[in-house]
Amino acid sequence: MKNNIIILGGGQAGIYAAREIRQNDLKSNIKILGEENLLPYERPPLSKDFLLDRKNEENLYFHSGDVLKNENIDFEYVSINKVDFENKKLFTKNDDVYSYNTLLISTGSENKKLSVDNNLTDDIYYLRNLEEAKIIKKKVLNKNKVTIIGGGFIGLEIASSLSQLQKKVTVIEIGNQLMGRIIPKQIADLVQKTHIEHGNEIILNKQIDKIIKKNGIYEILLNDNSLIETDFVIAGIGSTPSVKLFENTNLKLDNGIVTNQYCETSIKDVYAAGDVSNFYHPLYERNIRLESYQHAQNHGICAGKNIAGVKTEYSSIPWMWSDQFNLNLQLTGICDDFDEIVERGNDINNGIIYFFLKNKKIQGACGLGIVGKVGRDIRITSKLSENNTIVDTKILADKTQKLNKLMQK
Amino acid sequence: MSEENWIEVGSTGSIEEEDLIRFDHQDKTFCVYRLTDGFYATDGMCTHEAVHLEDGLVMDDEIECPMHQGIFNIKSGEALSPPACEDLKTYPVKVDNDKIFIKIE
Repeated sequence: MKNNIIILGGGQAGIYAAREIRQNDLKSNIKILGEENLLPYERPPLSKDFLLDRKNEENLYFHSGDVLKNENIDFEYVSINKVDFENKKLFTKNDDVYSYNTLLISTGSENKKLSVDNNLTDDIYYLRNLEEAKIIKKKVLNKNKVTIIGGGFIGLEIASSLSQLQKKVTVIEIGNQLMGRIIPKQIADLVQKTHIEHGNEIILNKQIDKIIKKNGIYEILLNDNSLIETDFVIAGIGSTPSVKLFENTNLKLDNGIVTNQYCETSIKDVYAAGDVSNFYHPLYERNIRLESYQHAQNHGICAGKNIAGVKTEYSSIPWMWSDQFNLNLQLTGICDDFDEIVERGNDINNGIIYFFLKNKKIQGACGLGIVGKVGRDIRITSKLSENNTIVDTKILADKTQKLNKLMQK
Repeated sequence: MSEENWIEVGSTGSIEEEDLIRFDHQDKTFCVYRLTDGFYATDGMCTHEAVHLEDGLVMDDEIECPMHQGIFNIKSGEALSPPACEDLKTYPVKVDNDKIFIKIE
């Protein structure tokens, strides 16, 4: 009987895993089970170029159906509602059964929901998938005042796009800075300044006490008793790994599915990759969970290799970006474990980067600049970090000196 | 193929090894690279989003976009790593008396 490999989750990690398995294994059946009735597509443009009409749906797909067909990868739109790890079976609600020899879980993550009165649940919009992006794009057209709850990447990217669509945007953030979960304050403050310069209102340190709907207008009452009136409410308050299906199973969960550096879970022949996986990172010697484009792709590829029997350790340096207005923000490595900060550049027109070092080695860096101005240095930084290079901080801090100099040939 | 299609970009000394310069001509922008085995030229904008590749990183025979890390082979223009999926256009280059020329159709 043929070896059956099932990939549960039809997003970026899943499709890259499938294609990588096929590169190394021409014989096994490979089937992706996706919940969305769509081939895997790119999510980053949804909050930016898609809202701004610069990219349409056809431009978002990673691969055409023909690519999958040519590589003999099945893609089924189906919702699984039960897993039997012991007997290696997946069940739909109609009790259709999918049997596997090897399973990759790439179910991704889902939006945290704002807690509001029941009658307002449908009035709060979220943006994660294409369908939600389409709805927001359509509904926001004839609105003027838009309030975004949550000052993270997604909220700020939507705020940037809607500002460019001439909407009056207010962002409410509970923390004392924007993007506080991963972005250093120095950079967050620069991003905030840019939003304000474009007319967006940024409110920090405030919680929402209540949202009331009156004659089609929403009144958002904050914990300092201030009131914001708005025509449309979007929430981007973080996400959680999609693990509901596994909650009462033997699969080890802790902020996602716990995996080792080979994408292996606590159950034999079951792997996990992408947003859903809380993976062991050998360089940082701890488990981390990432929600990013680069990670979904590379982790998927790594899982694919391991499933196909090519033992491969995942030690990619985290990297992510956000585009807001004409700025490109990039983050590499981790910026929360350091004994020294070095600043490079002092003007966002030419790019500003903060490096976070420990024992003269770069742990992480975060940069902001007009599109294109920080990418090269951030990329070199990833390499320096990956190679554990001891760096000369004078060169790091001197914008006139190229960072390539720090690379060991 | 007439001689006038070759456009002078600059002197060979103007590009360091494993580096590139941007060259604008009429309403188009190009990148001209100096690799270990010679000079090469491609379109100057990434095929994924409108960003100048002049700020990208040259590694061996590859140029990596500074915005989203799409990677292209400089010699063939092939898109090697997502999010770039459309190949980059390449152009013939010649060096004459320490001057670099590219051939633009």
